[in-house]
Amino acid sequence: MVFAHGFGCDQNMWRFVAPAFEEHYRTIVFDHIGAGGSDLAAYEADRHASLDGYADDVVALCRGLSVVGGVFVGHSVSAMIGVLAAKKAPELFESLVLVCPSPRYLDDDGYVGGFTRRQVEELLDLLDTNYMGWSQAMAPSMMGNADRPELGEELTNSFCRTDPDIAKRFARTTFLADNRADLAGVEARCLVIQSSEDVIAPLEVGAYVHRHLANSELALLDATGHCPNLSAPAETIAAIQAFLRGPSRG
Amino acid sequence: MDETPATLPVPDVDDLEDLFENAPCGYASALPNGRISKVNRTLSTWLGHPAKDLVGSRFLDLLNIAGKVYYETHFAPMLRMQGYFDEVALDLVRADGTTLPVLVNAVVRKDEAGGVRFIRITVFNASDRRRYEREMLEARRVSEQATVALLELNLTLEARVADRARALDRAWRLSPDLLAIADAQGTLLAVNAAWTDLLGWEAADLVGQGFAEFTHPDDLEPTRAALGRIMTTPLVEPYEYRLRHIDGTYRLFAWTGAFEDGQIYATGRHTTVEHEQAAALVQAEEALRQSQKLEAVGQLTGGVAHDFNNLLTIIRSSVDFLRRPDLPEDRRTRYMDAVSDTVDRAAKLTGQLLAFARRQALKPEMFEVGERLRGVADMLDTVTGARIRVTTEIPDEPCFVMADVSQFETALVNMAVNARDAMNGEGTLTLRVNHTGNLPPIRGHAAAPGLFACVSLTDTGSGIAADQVARIFEPFFTTKEVGKGTGLGLSQVFGFTKQSGGDVEVESEPGRGTTFRLYLPKIIGDACELPAVLRDDKSFPSGEGQCVLIVEDNVEVGRFATQILEDIGYRTTWAANAEEALEKLGADGAGFDVVFSDVVMPGMGGIALAKTLQRRLPNLPILLTSGYSHVLAQDGLHGFELLHKPYSADQLGRILGKVVPRSRN
Repeated sequence: MVFAHGFGCDQNMWRFVAPAFEEHYRTIVFDHIGAGGSDLAAYEADRHASLDGYADDVVALCRGLSVVGGVFVGHSVSAMIGVLAAKKAPELFESLVLVCPSPRYLDDDGYVGGFTRRQVEELLDLLDTNYMGWSQAMAPSMMGNADRPELGEELTNSFCRTDPDIAKRFARTTFLADNRADLAGVEARCLVIQSSEDVIAPLEVGAYVHRHLANSELALLDATGHCPNLSAPAETIAAIQAFLRGPSRG
Repeated sequence: MDETPATLPVPDVDDLEDLFENAPCGYASALPNGRISKVNRTLSTWLGHPAKDLVGSRFLDLLNIAGKVYYETHFAPMLRMQGYFDEVALDLVRADGTTLPVLVNAVVRKDEAGGVRFIRITVFNASDRRRYEREMLEARRVSEQATVALLELNLTLEARVADRARALDRAWRLSPDLLAIADAQGTLLAVNAAWTDLLGWEAADLVGQGFAEFTHPDDLEPTRAALGRIMTTPLVEPYEYRLRHIDGTYRLFAWTGAFEDGQIYATGRHTTVEHEQAAALVQAEEALRQSQKLEAVGQLTGGVAHDFNNLLTIIRSSVDFLRRPDLPEDRRTRYMDAVSDTVDRAAKLTGQLLAFARRQALKPEMFEVGERLRGVADMLDTVTGARIRVTTEIPDEPCFVMADVSQFETALVNMAVNARDAMNGEGTLTLRVNHTGNLPPIRGHAAAPGLFACVSLTDTGSGIAADQVARIFEPFFTTKEVGKGTGLGLSQVFGFTKQSGGDVEVESEPGRGTTFRLYLPKIIGDACELPAVLRDDKSFPSGEGQCVLIVEDNVEVGRFATQILEDIGYRTTWAANAEEALEKLGADGAGFDVVFSDVVMPGMGGIALAKTLQRRLPNLPILLTSGYSHVLAQDGLHGFELLHKPYSADQLGRILGKVVPRSRN
């Protein structure tokens, strides 16, 4: 059972959920390239400019760990990365759990993504000067020490350490992506977990994903916010367990 | 009542309330579900919302859209995971829609069981700080731009320096002149490619070597001296010396340069070709002079031929008379004298003509003007013809000048020819020598100080029109018909006087005549320094019975010479050639006092004979005679006395008197 974190965090975000599955599953948590303790040198600007690159990483990782017929749990942007990985290597995952997924954040002709382009630009702007808090973002750019990451170690916020430059590019990749067409043709069973109040992935988006994934269930949580795995881990675990006990496992 | 001052007072509730409500930062408390339970007055005032309206809403609701996303993706997760999240820069949206830049700190308060009791949120107004940040960032951006601009400027400057360096390098490589950098000792440090082109040496052959290695040995000392001077004074006036080509020959270079920053920078222009051109120019001038002279010779020849016919007529008729058997003795003597005089005149004419036509380089020598003028007056007479009277006015006091004699005579002939044509063959030509003292202003040239002799020729001809006076000295200027003159004559006169340091002036009055004045620098000296000139002294010493060996292949001339010498008191023996003469002289000279030999003879000839005798009998005087002056001019006289044919008894007697010892004792 592979847990993939979303934008803004690292594998720490699964710390309240993953342990619940250890009894029955071999659980795998990992950091995307550029996040947490990943090897920053493995980042390739061209390849990681689209979610395909991250999906390739997932496939390589799972093959390396001999994952076959497993469960993929992806939060936010990683939900879509899981969809892409499952299509590239269908043998890897029997089931996909998509927590707060969105195939397209921008509103489009007749499609509700939740954001206008101007709002996304504003967001990317904010991230430029505010990534992981003022000190981490502003101090290096004012002091001109962007090339000395060790100065960032002395920060009050010790979780979810990420490389600021890669994070900014990841944000761009994430919020400008359009993977709606990739929802078609997914063979694995899918669970769409939808938070009841989520500014990033509104209800309409969850419904859209569920509608376009052929073999999917939708679980609407009482929890609010974009990170039910953190704010409501119990409810999230329960939803996943219910899904995994579902019809196919008989 | 008895509380001690050391005891802290219990905080007043009103005081705490005031601190909470009116603190300089905003406070908000949120329940575990994220809903705000309490805000202070400061925050509600900043946002423009009454505190009661804020209670129940979520902190997220106070943010703009970007803030909301950030809150969901970063703020909330961090708060959940680590229990606090500090220094988040966000914009809060006020009631009126404007935004308030803030810094937010949040901390989770838990109960003893670890459950979340509430979330404490502290909000700092960051309006000034954000503006300050923007200014800082802008200043930093400007500074970075300036750095980039400076970097680009540096690159541009480097590129310009590189361009300049390339241009200098190109100039260095492409210069047709030798360029060299040397140290103070003259050791070459750098040379350009011209060295290879002009001298064949590669840079590797030259660099590290002293200049002396390649300098002509004869130029070494002056070149060292020039090198010494350059250390203190830039060499502006080119200094020339010879450098050795790789093939061993030498080339001339004219150097300029300077000593700067401990090194000598020098440029050498190849001047061998210039010198060759200058030599070619000298040759061309030489050829011009020769053609000018030949023109004069041509003019002379006509006159001389005419005179010769007259002279031959006199001789012919005298001989005819002398053949008469009944001719009285006094008439015979008169005709004989006439023949003799006429031959003298003819010989003098041909001699002058030959000397005149001889090709020779310009060779200034000191001579007496009056004497030379007198010498050529006869010749000028033949040029001008019978109906023009040539008169000379020469002062008794000698007047010496330094000039080329041949050119001087040529100039006189040219002016005489010019006068003859101007007088249309009839009139008077007057030659004068004046001691004028100095050079008057001529043709715009200022008067020159110093002593000058003036030789003038005045004719009584048609004169020269004023508009042509300025042009008459131009080469090839002529007013004569085609075939009558080349126009080189007066240009020779001009060239000669200028080359001699003098000038020529022309004064003309149409219808009255023309005067040419040659000004030549005078030499103040003693006439005694001049070579002795044979005077027409009628008396000469007779022989005293000394023994003369005559060597002559021509029977008539040999017999003639024998007769003359015996008439004037010598004893003679005649040998028909040089070999026979040597035989007669034997090893000891056989008692002969002098040898009188023709030059051009079958066999070893006169010169070889004279040389042999000079070696074998060094005390025996030798007198040579020849009519072929060119042979002697070509081979040289080798120091022997020469008597030109035809010679008179007087001349032979005089010269023998000079070379033969008066007494055998």
